[in-house]
Amino acid sequence: MEENINALKSVLDKEYEDFESAVEKVQTLSELENIENRFIGKKSLVSEYLKNMGTLSGEFRPVAGKTINETRKKISERIFLIREEISLIEFDKKLRNEKSDLTLPGRKIKKGSKNIISQIIEEIEMFFIGLGYEIAEGPEIETDYYNFEALNHPPDHPARSLHDTFFIDENILLRTHTSPVQIRYMEKHKPPVYVIAPGKTYRKDYDVTHTPMFTQIEGLAVDKDINFGNFKWTLETFVHAIFGKDRKIRFRPHYFPFTEPSAEVDVSCNMCKGSGCRICSYSGWLEILGAGMVDPNLYKFVGYDAEEVNGFAFGVGIERIAMLKYGINDLRMFFDNDLRFLNQF
Amino acid sequence: MKITYNWLKEFIENLESISPAEIAEKLTMSGTEVKKVNYLGENFKNLVVGRILSFEKHPDADKLSLCNVDTGRNLLNIVCGAKNFKADDIVVVALEGARIQDFVIKKSKIRGIFSEGMMCSEKELGISDESGGIMILDDSFTVGKDFAGQAGLDDWVFELEITPNRPDCLCVLGIAREISALTGLKFKEFGYNSEYYANKDKKFVIDIRDYESCPRYSAKIFKKIDNYPKTPLWMKNRLMQCDIRSVSLLVDLTNYVMLECGQPLHAFDLNKLSSKKIIIRKAEKEEKLLLIDGSEKSLDENDIVIADEKGPVALAGIMGGKGTEISDETEDMLLESANFNGVSIMRTSKKMGFRSEASNRFEKKLDPENTVNAIGRFEEMLYRISNVKSDNTFYDNYADLKRSRRIDLRLSRLNDFLGTDIKTEKVSEILDLLGFKNKTDGEIIKVDIPTFRYEDIEREVDLIEEVARIYGFDNIPVRKPRTASKQGKYTDEQKFLRAIRNTLSEMGLNEVINYSFIGRKDLLMFYLEKEKDYKDYVKIINPLNEDFEILRTSLIQSLVRNAKDNIFKKINDIAIFEISKIFKSAESDGQRKSTEKNTLGILLSGRACLKNWDIQERYYDYFDIKGIVESLAEIFFDKNDLSVNECEYGFFHPVLGGDIILKNKKIGVIGKLHPKIINNLDIRQDIYIAEIDLDTFIENISREKKFRQISSFPPVNIDLAFIVDEEIKYHDIEKEIIASAGRDLQNIRLFDLYRGKQLEDNKKSLAFALELNAIDKTLNEKDIESLIKKISEQLSKKFQARLRDQ
Ligand SMILES: [Zn+2]
Repeated sequence: MEENINALKSVLDKEYEDFESAVEKVQTLSELENIENRFIGKKSLVSEYLKNMGTLSGEFRPVAGKTINETRKKISERIFLIREEISLIEFDKKLRNEKSDLTLPGRKIKKGSKNIISQIIEEIEMFFIGLGYEIAEGPEIETDYYNFEALNHPPDHPARSLHDTFFIDENILLRTHTSPVQIRYMEKHKPPVYVIAPGKTYRKDYDVTHTPMFTQIEGLAVDKDINFGNFKWTLETFVHAIFGKDRKIRFRPHYFPFTEPSAEVDVSCNMCKGSGCRICSYSGWLEILGAGMVDPNLYKFVGYDAEEVNGFAFGVGIERIAMLKYGINDLRMFFDNDLRFLNQF
Repeated sequence: MKITYNWLKEFIENLESISPAEIAEKLTMSGTEVKKVNYLGENFKNLVVGRILSFEKHPDADKLSLCNVDTGRNLLNIVCGAKNFKADDIVVVALEGARIQDFVIKKSKIRGIFSEGMMCSEKELGISDESGGIMILDDSFTVGKDFAGQAGLDDWVFELEITPNRPDCLCVLGIAREISALTGLKFKEFGYNSEYYANKDKKFVIDIRDYESCPRYSAKIFKKIDNYPKTPLWMKNRLMQCDIRSVSLLVDLTNYVMLECGQPLHAFDLNKLSSKKIIIRKAEKEEKLLLIDGSEKSLDENDIVIADEKGPVALAGIMGGKGTEISDETEDMLLESANFNGVSIMRTSKKMGFRSEASNRFEKKLDPENTVNAIGRFEEMLYRISNVKSDNTFYDNYADLKRSRRIDLRLSRLNDFLGTDIKTEKVSEILDLLGFKNKTDGEIIKVDIPTFRYEDIEREVDLIEEVARIYGFDNIPVRKPRTASKQGKYTDEQKFLRAIRNTLSEMGLNEVINYSFIGRKDLLMFYLEKEKDYKDYVKIINPLNEDFEILRTSLIQSLVRNAKDNIFKKINDIAIFEISKIFKSAESDGQRKSTEKNTLGILLSGRACLKNWDIQERYYDYFDIKGIVESLAEIFFDKNDLSVNECEYGFFHPVLGGDIILKNKKIGVIGKLHPKIINNLDIRQDIYIAEIDLDTFIENISREKKFRQISSFPPVNIDLAFIVDEEIKYHDIEKEIIASAGRDLQNIRLFDLYRGKQLEDNKKSLAFALELNAIDKTLNEKDIESLIKKISEQLSKKFQARLRDQ
């Protein structure tokens, strides 16, 4: 080793140049390892020089040491960077060699379904909860008193014959509507009353348009200062929420023993946009619910003062709503429980 | 009910200014729903009345005639196949363009001779089944004029739905009154001729034994009726349009008057009555009566009969008796126009399973003031048709009900109730139009209720309804309610129930809804008649049929039926649930009471996983259904609150069935459906079932959830395997591990169950993965070792369990 700093530097520069040209073409980590051995390995020039440092004169030694170490560091830093680079490339290559077909079908989570009737009930419940209503419940096995008498159907009332009732015994029956919940709720709560009551109801009727069991939602609002205009607002808003704002609504006077005045509510037919078609029996309208102002007689049964409060009540057939909303054409589908039907909702 | 436009015209002035469609709309929007409006004339276009001037035989066909017919404007040559006519007969001629039985008439050659039209039979016209030749009209028809108009066929038929509170609307007059109120057009009323009066002589006596059953009975005798003419065609047609078949002039007239003024009439053959006295009374027990339809009825004390001195001659308000029925030979007739108790009529008609136009009207409580009007109208129509005047007496027995009522209507109450600002004058005007006389006294309108509305207008609110429906519901302004004074919400129980439904559907199950009814054979097929929790059912006394006679005590049968129905349609992989009530009958205080409970049923059958390109096919088994129940429970309860105890049920596999226990209380059953049931149903695949009493499940859910501190120290995971006797239940071992590990045990998982060569016979090895973590420190080796020791000792003591070397 020359005792001349310039000579040493030029040797080392040459060595670094050789390193650079060697490293330039390097492709793989093992090639890089060879180069590392050659230039900074045990038998490399740089290592030899460092090993022989002891033979150098005292004043020259630190300068030479620094110079050699700088070269070594330069080389090793460079190798480190190149190694990083090559590892990344090799890693990438390895990944790219993995087989893939993103279009193969995924592992799906099996889909279940809530029954369409439950879904519509919940949709209606959410609407009325938003308006401040609670959910009331009542038994499906009812007494004559709650199902008829307290709802203004005294014995032998002709309207009773509209209900083909299933009897358990003389005075016990399967409720023919959800309306008994009105009486049960009012008996236990003072006004203001804002409730809806969904549930199963039963009538002895079985043909294309009737099933012996069906589902209704009853609604009842009793408060000070409730009027017919409020009744119209509530049902209009409800119908718009369920069927869409573009549908027209009409209140057609009707008769129910427990409301006065009573109305049937029709929504404009969506199939024909009101011009008349088979679905709406060429009337342009579809009947969707029965309703009215609570007949003051009912208040006598529950101890309310008819001069103090007014109210309105309504009953909606859930299957009917579902049929109109989804174009289901056979009522019996609801109780056949065919999985191809259930999976659609 | 059906009525026609022209009929209404007879009672409303200037009705032709309003179209049938407008009338239908107005009626519908005031509470009398018009289901259909049908123009009849559509079927009777290009029909003209003609006169046969002469006819001769067709030169080339023996059976055909060649007629010369005057149709007013033209003389037509018409080839005709009928034989029943002669020269000068008035006939119906279908001109070119007429549509006869879907066949359009045009000029054509028949056997070489030009025919310029067609003479029609009643059948061809579609107005009766009469086809014995062409229709010969009487000389009331004008030759050359349109046939349909003269025959009452240029008309519109309204099909109406009358609500049960409006018996007054079950007739033309009632509807005319409504239309008058809706349009302001004048209503033309008729009343009984005042020159006629009741009970002038005692030749006939009406004896009402019980005014409750029959408040009024009016009658009139018509003599020598055997030579009355036939029913005119227009009347026949009008009856036919209203779905009533023409029988004979007198029967037709009773029906015509009933349709017109709502009062049912009945005609007796006077000479077949055994006495000149009619008795209205309750039937005697077992009394027999042969009715017009030929059926013999056995009566009882609830039925009202019309009787002569020998016995019953008619079932009041429902049907006449065969013995006194009028016929072509009847000489003298007794016409009955009576008012019967609606409830009695309804009961009898229900009991007999028979409803008629008359009984349907009586049931709804008719106005007794109307009986005499109906007799008057009958007489008037009879006179118009036959020109025969009847004598001027009738017989009448009337309890003389005081049917007057005055109601005060407060204007402020009306407007508060409706949310309107209707003025007194308007209210008064509407009431006037409806026939309610009224007087305004400040803010109160005093209203007299007319007798024909006496039954349904009893209170102020009834008048408010009348005003509202005539004013028009559409004209009442929509008003947003003042913000409801309550906050809307679900109760906790309602929230839980809906959460359970959501959870199950998100787990991949489909929610079904079944009828609450099953048949007795379903009960037997599932061996429920022996199970104490299921055998006490509630029975329907009037079921639809025997498959619907029991209220189900379990959801199992319905779910299995759903599985079967789907499997039969080749839909084999089934995971369904139902949330419905089940019903049981229970004895309490010596009385049978029925109970109902919300219940959850789950059914799995078929494949849990289909074979997929990287997934193995797998069939559902017991542990799938148990997993669903456990996962559901873990949402609401502590993991250890739920367990299953083996228990035998007739409907479960003998060793794969048990009770679901929640907090030490039975809340349901779980298991594999007994293979013999599966065989009986011909299903050929295993079925797994769970049923849970949801009311109890929800009741036990804790209403408050508390946060549990999370350890900030690293957890330690250890695996322990124990060898135990086969008889030892997993659940007991797990319970013991949890108890001995104490609060540092965070999780326990059985990761292996081994039976086999490496073990002695009748032994099994259970390998558990335990996650341990203390809240206040890192567990060290010593802690862990002592914990393992504690668990092993405890299991060894309790179950002779041996810790297996790892
Ligand atoms: Zn339509």
